[in-house]
Amino acid sequence: MLIVSILAIPFTAAIIMLLLRRGSPAVPVSVSAIVFVSSCLLLRGVFSGNDAVLRVSLPGPYVPTFRADAASSVFAALAAFVWLAVSIYMPGYMKHEKRPESFYIWTLFTQTAVLGVFLAGDFLTMLLFFELMTVASYFWVIDRWDRKAVRAGYLYLFFSLAAGFLVAMGIVMTSEATGILPAVGSGPAASSDPRLFGWGIAMFALGFGIKAGIVPLHVWLPHAHSAAPTPASALLSGLLIKVGAYGLVRTAGMAGWGLADISGVEWFGPTLTAAGICSMLIGVVSALLQSDAKRLLAYHSISQMGYIAFGLGIGSCLGADGGVAVAGAVYHVMNHALFKAALFLGVGIIYVSTHETNLYRLGGLLRRFPVTAALMLVAVLGITGAPGLNGYASKTLLHHAAGIAAETGSRWLAWAERLFVVTGVGTAASFIKLYYLIFLRKPGEEAHRGKRADKSPADAREQSDMPAKGRAPAWMHAAMGLLAAAMVGIGVAPGFFAEKLVIPVVRTLGAEQGIAGLAAFALPDHVGSAFWNAGDVFSIIITLIVGMLVCIAGLRLGIFHWKPPVWMTEEGLGKMAAKGVLRLWDEGAREYHVIADNAHESGDALKNRLYSFVRKFDRARSGTVGRVTVTGISADAALLFVILALLIVWYIIVHPDIPESWLWIFRTQQ
Amino acid sequence: MPYSADALKIYLVLGLSSGAAGGLAVMLIPGARRRLRNMITLLFAASGAVFSWLTALSVFAGKGTRIGFVSGDLEWSLDPDPLGAVFGLIASTLWMFATVYSFGYMAEKSGQRVYYSFFLFSLSAAVGVAFAGNLVTLYLFYELLTLATYPLVIHERTPEAAAAGTKYIMYNLSGAGAILIAIIITYRYAGDPGFTGGPVLAGVNSPMLGWLLVMYIVGFGVKAALMPLHRWLPAAMVAPTPVSALLHAVAVVYAGVFGVIRVVYSVFGRGLAGQLGISRVLPWVAASTILAGVIVALRQDVLKRRLAYQTVSHLSYILLGAFTLQPWGLAGAMMQMITYPFMKMTLFFCAGIIARQTGETRISRMGGVGRKLPWTMAAFTAAALGMTGMLPLSTFWGKYYLMKGSVAGGMWPFALVLAASGLINAACFIPVVVQAFRGDKTPSCKEKGGSMALMFAPAAALVVIALVTGLVPGIVWPGAEAVTDWFFG
Repeated sequence: MLIVSILAIPFTAAIIMLLLRRGSPAVPVSVSAIVFVSSCLLLRGVFSGNDAVLRVSLPGPYVPTFRADAASSVFAALAAFVWLAVSIYMPGYMKHEKRPESFYIWTLFTQTAVLGVFLAGDFLTMLLFFELMTVASYFWVIDRWDRKAVRAGYLYLFFSLAAGFLVAMGIVMTSEATGILPAVGSGPAASSDPRLFGWGIAMFALGFGIKAGIVPLHVWLPHAHSAAPTPASALLSGLLIKVGAYGLVRTAGMAGWGLADISGVEWFGPTLTAAGICSMLIGVVSALLQSDAKRLLAYHSISQMGYIAFGLGIGSCLGADGGVAVAGAVYHVMNHALFKAALFLGVGIIYVSTHETNLYRLGGLLRRFPVTAALMLVAVLGITGAPGLNGYASKTLLHHAAGIAAETGSRWLAWAERLFVVTGVGTAASFIKLYYLIFLRKPGEEAHRGKRADKSPADAREQSDMPAKGRAPAWMHAAMGLLAAAMVGIGVAPGFFAEKLVIPVVRTLGAEQGIAGLAAFALPDHVGSAFWNAGDVFSIIITLIVGMLVCIAGLRLGIFHWKPPVWMTEEGLGKMAAKGVLRLWDEGAREYHVIADNAHESGDALKNRLYSFVRKFDRARSGTVGRVTVTGISADAALLFVILALLIVWYIIVHPDIPESWLWIFRTQQ
Repeated sequence: MPYSADALKIYLVLGLSSGAAGGLAVMLIPGARRRLRNMITLLFAASGAVFSWLTALSVFAGKGTRIGFVSGDLEWSLDPDPLGAVFGLIASTLWMFATVYSFGYMAEKSGQRVYYSFFLFSLSAAVGVAFAGNLVTLYLFYELLTLATYPLVIHERTPEAAAAGTKYIMYNLSGAGAILIAIIITYRYAGDPGFTGGPVLAGVNSPMLGWLLVMYIVGFGVKAALMPLHRWLPAAMVAPTPVSALLHAVAVVYAGVFGVIRVVYSVFGRGLAGQLGISRVLPWVAASTILAGVIVALRQDVLKRRLAYQTVSHLSYILLGAFTLQPWGLAGAMMQMITYPFMKMTLFFCAGIIARQTGETRISRMGGVGRKLPWTMAAFTAAALGMTGMLPLSTFWGKYYLMKGSVAGGMWPFALVLAASGLINAACFIPVVVQAFRGDKTPSCKEKGGSMALMFAPAAALVVIALVTGLVPGIVWPGAEAVTDWFFG
């Protein structure tokens, strides 16, 4: 019942608004509030031991099922919470955009879709909501309908469609290998064809990996997330990529978390770990090089999704010891949703007043936006993992997991641990850069000496002395405050939330394997109290200090203005490849046309030749053959004569017996 | 429902003859009586649909019926099996939608009498192809379908239309010639046991069988637009839009696809076809048609030509499923066959509305159309997404079972081909939609007027049907299941 209300209320509201063609910002807020309450009730019900299951018994091959276990309900509650905050924020922002009504409608549709993915009980239903999410959120990306938005929209749509097809193929392959339609959260099934099963898992991983923005499937993400209006960016980065993460969690569950002895999927953990590390590094390096605040945040989403993929991958590598890693990943999903949404909302508040997201043209806004600055500080500290805020909790868990992995003696897992630390430094550096350039820098101060100085000092001063167009509405701050409160709450009591929310989820995920009679995660009892120890706090503080040094060095030396050459970026490579393919295609088409035209011409020539040849016969003519002169014989007659002659020759040579019955003419009547 | 043997025979005859009778009736009505003619047309189209439904449902319920008579050495027979029932059901049902759309689209055009009467004649021919009980009957109606649609192709009477008509007739009659020769050879080998009693050529052993199969596939492949036999289809797009929508996206081309499936499953049988190595060669032909068709479609600027090339691609989806010789593959082919026309006809209907209301047929000049025709473009968008095979729309299920069939047959590259084709389809149509809603030019036109309602209603109804069947595939699944059980049971 709760599941129905969670899904039906936003959907119905969206349909009604679509049909009435008008909408009020109060609708998304009230809908989100109701959905949040319902999902909290659902969470309570599930955590008290009653998994909610809903079967829509339709006739035919497709029976949609919905199921909320601990993992689904935690993800759904998280989505409902962030959605509530962003809905409160939306009206203040959207009144500066054209057509806010359609934005509200698509927001409600997307809300249905995201919650539907989390609550789906089988993969086909999950795919259904996944596709709905693709379509609905596409309208976010192209909300402005300008050139940039349309291009970003194409990238977003095509990658999302590809993700949908890959998931569909995953469903087909796994169901064909195991003989049953995979249910979400039922753990690994015995497969009769390990190779096919492995391919199926690969398809799932690729599909959800695209949605999660894992390198090398991330190309769409920075464009889409920076083109959308800021509330949509907040939700895209905060929640929609978490749908990919959720899918990866479920895929890892199907692949057995490395607990079950399933052949065909041994590659899963190591590959996901490697992809996660690549995402972490590439995301953070790209983020350092951005000058646009929203693009910087978008690249950080890639980096932070890398943390999550890293956790899931390590968890799948380590088997029973992987519980800490999975807990870290799940915890980081929650934390990243909170601080990334808050960061986008903060940038949006500044954008609404200054119409600027370029970091180098902002500056010195601390005085004008004290509340925003304070809330942003919380979010920035959260994402850098400063002790006392939520990022610390999950990053510590992940760091522990990396440590456990390094202890296994595998050399590349040891490297993984080191790279993990490097990413932490990069994250700190880029957010110190963001915060410094927006809030702390003195207006007009030339903070960069790169070769691509954006503006002269005078310009910069003019930009930042721009008169404030109204003050940021209190509601927008309230929304950020809601998220910040949650961040501080988790930061102050990381153990409490870990015990209450994260550990049950991990136990559920591990226990899925128990269904098949296999081992579950061995979680150490002290996970909840393991957060505060000198070593972790100290290492984070070192990370922050090194990050600050990197940031200062980068700003002084102008490294942050470096543009990587085309061949070093995946997008550039893609463009080059596309150009090559198009060129080849054009060449091929030209060749084809040449060949086809030639064939056509020679066909025509042949036809004409034949025609005139035949026509020759048809003309009456006279001639002399030997001593016989023939006059006025047409081709028909000549042909007749020739055939007759041939018949006579044939008869003379073969002289077949004439059948009796043919001779009745000659018979005399008796 | 009354399933007595006599009633079934009457349903079958009425289902078959409604179109022909209607065509004659329309011929007799004077040209000026427009309203009467429309009523008669709709009445006979509806009766054809109703009786085809009754026949098809009885076949699905396992109660077949057979009508046959002997003239000279040949026996002509009608004997619907589940495969024929599925085709007859789709064709006759969609005829109604296309008829209603025609009322709007053809409203101010000349030559309506000829148009409607041949439109109805071709209904009879299509139903005849579906319900034919043996090869000669199938061939007869197959030829009649070509001839009955020829006047529709050249309806505009322009030199371009005449050239297209010549191409149409040349391609299709050559194909039919190949079929005729193949049928004669088949009769020599196996006599005429009809379709319902197991494969015709079962137990025949001859080195010629491979060539016979090739001859059949080439013959039916013309109408099924199997590359490189597809050239007539884009040319035939000069016909009025309802004709393109119904005949050249569904009925006529489906007759070719139907013929191929008939040959593979009823004439050769999947055992013999498997021995001949069909599933090693022909799926590749189908797969390359799928990709090549949609890639060529990418480069077309005339919307209807783009749709035509995309039809070429989508017809091979069905063939791909049939050629896998897997139960899931055949089920996928049937699901694709049933669900794809909803979306494709919607696309054509919308293209026709755009052409009627704005006069634009070129995609590059359709910028801003969506602002003036929002509902039309909304339907177009849904159909475009349907072409990619996304889940809320019914075409997903065709694709899903085709993928299942490919994977089950150990041919998973074809699943990849289907996914890639979905993406290229999106690249074909999504930009059209985006430009329509975004473009700067805003042609002066309105989404209003009496004929507008007649044109838009069928498109909207088809979108709704596609959405509902997409969410509840159980509605159309029995058809696919019956066919699969019939050939694999």
